[in-house]
Amino acid sequence: MSRPKSDDSSVLLVHAYLDGELDPANALSVAQQMGQEPALAAEAEHVRELQKLIHDRLPREQAPPGLSTRIESSIGAARPPRATPASMRSWQALAASIAVAAVVASGSTWLVVDSQQKPTQVAELLVSDHIRALMAPEPVDVVSSDRHTVKPWFNGRIPNSPRVVDLAKDDFPLVGGRVDVVGRTPVATLVYRRAKHLISLTAVPNDGAFAISGPRSINGYNVVQWTENGVTYWAVSDVEAKQLEAFAQLFRTSQNEL
Amino acid sequence: MSITPLRPRTGPNSPDGPPVRLVTPGAQDAAGMLDDNARFRAVVMPYIDEAYRLARWLTGNSTDAEDVVQDASLRAFRAIRDYAGGNPRAWVLSIVRNTAYSWLHKNRPAAIVSVDDLEVVELEHAKSDERRDDTPEASLIAKVDAEQLRAAIAKLPAPFRETLVLRDIEGFDYREIAEATEVPIGTVMSRLARARRRLIETLRDG
Repeated sequence: MSRPKSDDSSVLLVHAYLDGELDPANALSVAQQMGQEPALAAEAEHVRELQKLIHDRLPREQAPPGLSTRIESSIGAARPPRATPASMRSWQALAASIAVAAVVASGSTWLVVDSQQKPTQVAELLVSDHIRALMAPEPVDVVSSDRHTVKPWFNGRIPNSPRVVDLAKDDFPLVGGRVDVVGRTPVATLVYRRAKHLISLTAVPNDGAFAISGPRSINGYNVVQWTENGVTYWAVSDVEAKQLEAFAQLFRTSQNEL
Repeated sequence: MSITPLRPRTGPNSPDGPPVRLVTPGAQDAAGMLDDNARFRAVVMPYIDEAYRLARWLTGNSTDAEDVVQDASLRAFRAIRDYAGGNPRAWVLSIVRNTAYSWLHKNRPAAIVSVDDLEVVELEHAKSDERRDDTPEASLIAKVDAEQLRAAIAKLPAPFRETLVLRDIEGFDYREIAEATEVPIGTVMSRLARARRRLIETLRDG
């Protein structure tokens, strides 16, 4: 007995029957046909066996962790809301994206931080951001030690990308970046690492309305700030004050790269 | 006098036509950007696992699959406004599939089976159909391990492989497969029957 060819319509209908693709009337007639023709019954048996084999032997693999994040970074989409305890940060991300829309829509470039905002308040906000980031699953929204990845990531999120320098040779490797919010302004924060400590470096636009002296330490976190080209940089970290000063010095004196 | 049978490409919102702006440019760009991101997240992101698995079956390894999915995601993002609200899974996977084939074409031209080759393959297969008697054989389940099964699927010509993967691994229905692989349902049916027969034979002979 020779079996029917694979493009024989009775064979195709047996496959369609097994795949649940037939309406009741056709399903009935195929079932009857299988009862009368052993070749079709055998075909059905083999296909069922194959399907079971695939089901048992080939579990569906998930995409590697990080792929979704990389995709979202590459299309410039904000991260989806995170689970608690990061709920505060997803709130921020939402606020940031709304703020970005407002900024882009207004056509302005740097949005200057509310000049009523005192340096102390800014420092406190940034220390809170830093602490929240440490508690979140990831302290950054874009993970990369490559400044050529981190800098463009900020495009579309905030009006001007921050200056990003590579300090890996000085033992301050870049970890990545995130968008923080100061007042109503989304600001770029770069995250560097020193041994096991993270340093958040936030670039806050400054129209010169406030003096650049703020607290040196809040809640045990050291704070160093300086202003260049209308931008105040705030470095927040639990590394020793001396190391944070050294970091600030290196960043300030490094060439404007990219 | 010339007659153009095709719809003219110039006009509002066509690639060559002048862009239409209803509001101030900045505002529209900002709203459009957020809107596109939201659409992308709703339409594309839920199917990254499926996208990755299909890309992996088509390229043969995980590194290339990741590249293909990233590239496909960018294409999907750029085309997100063209997504007309059909089956999102089929739409996403059709982009992944096309991206995988252009990737293979560029990086591994030898792996691409042309339509002519495929006809030869199908002819040979039709002959083997006739040759082979349907004799009862030992259960496949007992003798085939995951590695053999994976290798046998990997050996299927791409059009058969993608059809089988979408149906028997991903659980797509015929209509979705037809959409994702851009062929009529009849073609899906015959490819699926061939793919399964071929696979069963390979596993038995191996």
